[in-house]
Amino acid sequence: MNFEDYRTLFQVGSLVFVLLAASPALSLVVSFPRGGESFSELWLLGPNHMAEDYPFNVQAGESYSLFLGVGNHLGHSAYYLVCAKFRNQTQPLPNASSSEPSSLSSIYEFQFFLADGDVWETPVTFEILGASVQGDSLVVESVSVNDRILQVVCPLIWDSEYSGFYFQLFFELWLYNSARSSFEFHDRFVGIWLNMTG
Amino acid sequence: MARAYEAVLDAERFGADISGLLVRLNDAAVLLSEARMAFDVEDFEEATRFAESASEVGYKVVDEAELLEIEANNAQVHRSWWFLVTSALGVSVVLVASLLGYEYFKRRYYRRLSKMRPRVGVS
Repeated sequence: MNFEDYRTLFQVGSLVFVLLAASPALSLVVSFPRGGESFSELWLLGPNHMAEDYPFNVQAGESYSLFLGVGNHLGHSAYYLVCAKFRNQTQPLPNASSSEPSSLSSIYEFQFFLADGDVWETPVTFEILGASVQGDSLVVESVSVNDRILQVVCPLIWDSEYSGFYFQLFFELWLYNSARSSFEFHDRFVGIWLNMTG
Repeated sequence: MARAYEAVLDAERFGADISGLLVRLNDAAVLLSEARMAFDVEDFEEATRFAESASEVGYKVVDEAELLEIEANNAQVHRSWWFLVTSALGVSVVLVASLLGYEYFKRRYYRRLSKMRPRVGVS
């Protein structure tokens, strides 16, 4: 190595040490992108806190339980709204691909704030309180969610293919948008099918 | 509630510890959910009562979040100054050490070079 090579080596070494020494100040102006994807989780577990033994064959007057959970991985605290809705086979589901929630009104709702990386979970207990047979359809008249009684009129048509009166209890996830000062459907929903034939 | 949440988000952006505020906001959120559900079943008296309680908590959270934001902002300014001063000192030390080291190395290099004897090759 001649002297020029040594000088270049010296300059590069000095530059590295200058950058290291300046790193506290550089950290004030240089921001690194947050690694990973920003998303929210929404899940529904059975009564044993596992993804099994979900209620399916239900009867009026019987109480059933589930666990509903939300995880925040958005990179900041979030204000969530979960709407519980009740539908028969012909009523609309949310459309996650076009960000459209179901047009049905909610029978119960949960509002909560969640720090980044935290999860929220709550038990959900529901019961069909009143149902009547009208011709070849069964009309659910009232349900109770977490001890809150609600009047609903949900006619269930006999499904001859699967031999039952089917309806769905589903939960939509909404997220508060500070820029628009309103909740927006967050493109996520979970639900279970229930059969009220028994 | 929305204002309270935005105040908490601002405090969080400045690096404030907002965990306590989120607990209070969640208490208010439960009240607000109750208010909305009472409103849906046209129980306006209950809806008003729950909404007022939620609003009360919300206003307190706004005040606390603003205080936390100011504290976090002051801490951030202090931290920024500390970073600038330590960086300036560090860079100065590295530059002075580099210049002195370079001069020392240059002298040693040329001293060693001058002590070398020329070799005469015989073909």
